[in-house]
Amino acid sequence: MATETEQAETVGGDRSGVYTSFVRWMENLTETQFAYFLLTPALLLLLVIAVWPLIATFRLSLFADSFIGGATVGEFVGLQNYIEIITGERSASLPAPLLPTSLSMSALFESALAVTLVFTLASVFFETLIGFGQALVLNQEFTGRRWVRVAIIIPWAIPIVIQGMIFFLLFQPDIGLLVGSEGNGILQQLGIMSNTPLANAQDSTLIVIVADIWKTTAFMALLILAGMQSINRDLYDVAKVAGASPWQRFKTITLPLILPTVLVAMLFRTIQAMRVYGIIETVSGCTTVPSLSCLVIQSFFQNSAVGSAATIAFITAGIIAIVVSVYIVGFAREGI
Amino acid sequence: MSREDQRTDGGTATAGISDEPELKRGIFARWVSKAIKNPERAYRAMFYTAAVFFLVTTLFPFYWLLVVAITPESAALGLVPGGFEVGVFADVFVKIDFARYMFNSLLLATLTTIVVLVLASLAGYVFGRLDFPGKGPLMLAILAISYFPPAAFFLPLYRLFTGNVFPWLSLYNTPGAMVLPFSSLFMPLSIFILTTFYGQIPDGLEDAARVEGTTRLGALFRVIVPLSAPGVATAGVLTFIAVYNEFFFSFWMTDGSASAWAPIVAGILQLQRAGQFEITYGVMAAGSIIAVLPVAILVVVAQEKIVSGLTAGALKE
Repeated sequence: MATETEQAETVGGDRSGVYTSFVRWMENLTETQFAYFLLTPALLLLLVIAVWPLIATFRLSLFADSFIGGATVGEFVGLQNYIEIITGERSASLPAPLLPTSLSMSALFESALAVTLVFTLASVFFETLIGFGQALVLNQEFTGRRWVRVAIIIPWAIPIVIQGMIFFLLFQPDIGLLVGSEGNGILQQLGIMSNTPLANAQDSTLIVIVADIWKTTAFMALLILAGMQSINRDLYDVAKVAGASPWQRFKTITLPLILPTVLVAMLFRTIQAMRVYGIIETVSGCTTVPSLSCLVIQSFFQNSAVGSAATIAFITAGIIAIVVSVYIVGFAREGI
Repeated sequence: MSREDQRTDGGTATAGISDEPELKRGIFARWVSKAIKNPERAYRAMFYTAAVFFLVTTLFPFYWLLVVAITPESAALGLVPGGFEVGVFADVFVKIDFARYMFNSLLLATLTTIVVLVLASLAGYVFGRLDFPGKGPLMLAILAISYFPPAAFFLPLYRLFTGNVFPWLSLYNTPGAMVLPFSSLFMPLSIFILTTFYGQIPDGLEDAARVEGTTRLGALFRVIVPLSAPGVATAGVLTFIAVYNEFFFSFWMTDGSASAWAPIVAGILQLQRAGQFEITYGVMAAGSIIAVLPVAILVVVAQEKIVSGLTAGALKE
């Protein structure tokens, strides 16, 4: 160790004394000290921009809303915000200018929770299904495979705001291809959508789900594809020799071996889908399709209900934590 | 039957069937009877159908964007453009300060990528190559932080950046208000990617550099990082795309004006919300096409990196 220090000194010998003593100080650190020294910047950033806000959000959620003045905080109420919002007792009406009647916070929360769960379940289910299909296609050898893969990845890589704009333009009755302003679009004639799909809660939820499936199926496909490609090719050759049809090969080799990958991918997608916000804001606005993240923003900015906003933010995080632990317990039980 | 044979007559196989004795059957019936005798053909056909279906569904929305953009306002919109109008692409820059929004977005993405790569390089080196107490729990904690929704970080950060906590600290409407949250949000993925890459470099190379008299940091930045250049590039590309695409903090950490460093999110929404009399749908579509170009090019150039990075980052644990 001593010789290394001397050598380091000779290397940096022509630099300033501060530099040399810094190098010597660093070379003399134990491995643990050096590890934490290098981690300091990253941990500091996470501490200030992630850990502190989480704790501060939780702290804010313990205070009552204060409707006097700007975004200020009311008195300390402990867990009352959580109890009232979850059990539906939060009767304090909030001004809801764009809704026909002013709604209680609990009703808004229940609606947002339902929207978020429906969105999550539907999009993750279809993304898995379609992603599976895309992975099967990409797993084949064929000319132009590279370009098919680019085509499949591109929706994943585009900004959320442009994803929103695309679906806004696709379902804008003035110009839409599938919907018309006089109800003459194909989706309207089939009775799937109303004349104003972007202002109708049900239609917009459907559009937002389709938009999400369009954008993020690629993520699912790539993970499943990686799982497929890690399977030993010999297994297929053996099965082929034994006379197994492609379907049998798929069912007895591919499916069981990529199941762990699919579950991990579904976990990631579930976590991401629970946060849904941007696509809703762009396609139809948060008042039409209120998700949990929407409700946090609305409570904070429109109603200055800081305590309620923080509580809903933390409940959202809690629901995600529950989903994560259910998956982890499931993995542990399956021994994956 | 070799793979080549299957490919040439599989799927679309309608022509060149000379050994078919019953000429009375139609093309489809003949194909079906062939398929029954040889199921591989049916699978091949299914494969082509699926491939075409996926291509159409992923690319059609982009095609529609193009149709809306180039169809002149006077012509009716249809599946095929009813004319050719390129003026809208110039209009985007005239109607709003689109160039500045694009510049802001690219700048924010570049700044964040630099911050993330430096910090994640150090952290990835530590997690990939050093052994120390608390390593496992720390990695888990970093992973856990990335599970939380942006909304759970947002309120205190917004209050902090608007000067509600310390009056002298007002980052709202500056790049810092976005680069800091972006960095902490997207750093965990890069840490995991780089941990994998750095961990794969043989110890001997680092030891050799150290014996030669390189400092510890010198060994990291002159040996480990250059050797893991593909990993660093992967983490960089993914971070850049993630920041360019981000919505939540991009939307709320500025007032949305181009001079306040608002990124493309605000630009596109300004086009969308200006109203039909100010901005035509064609201009909205044109703006979207221009804004997609940087990432579209990145995907075409770096698709291997994206694929490997996404799978390495997600399947690590």
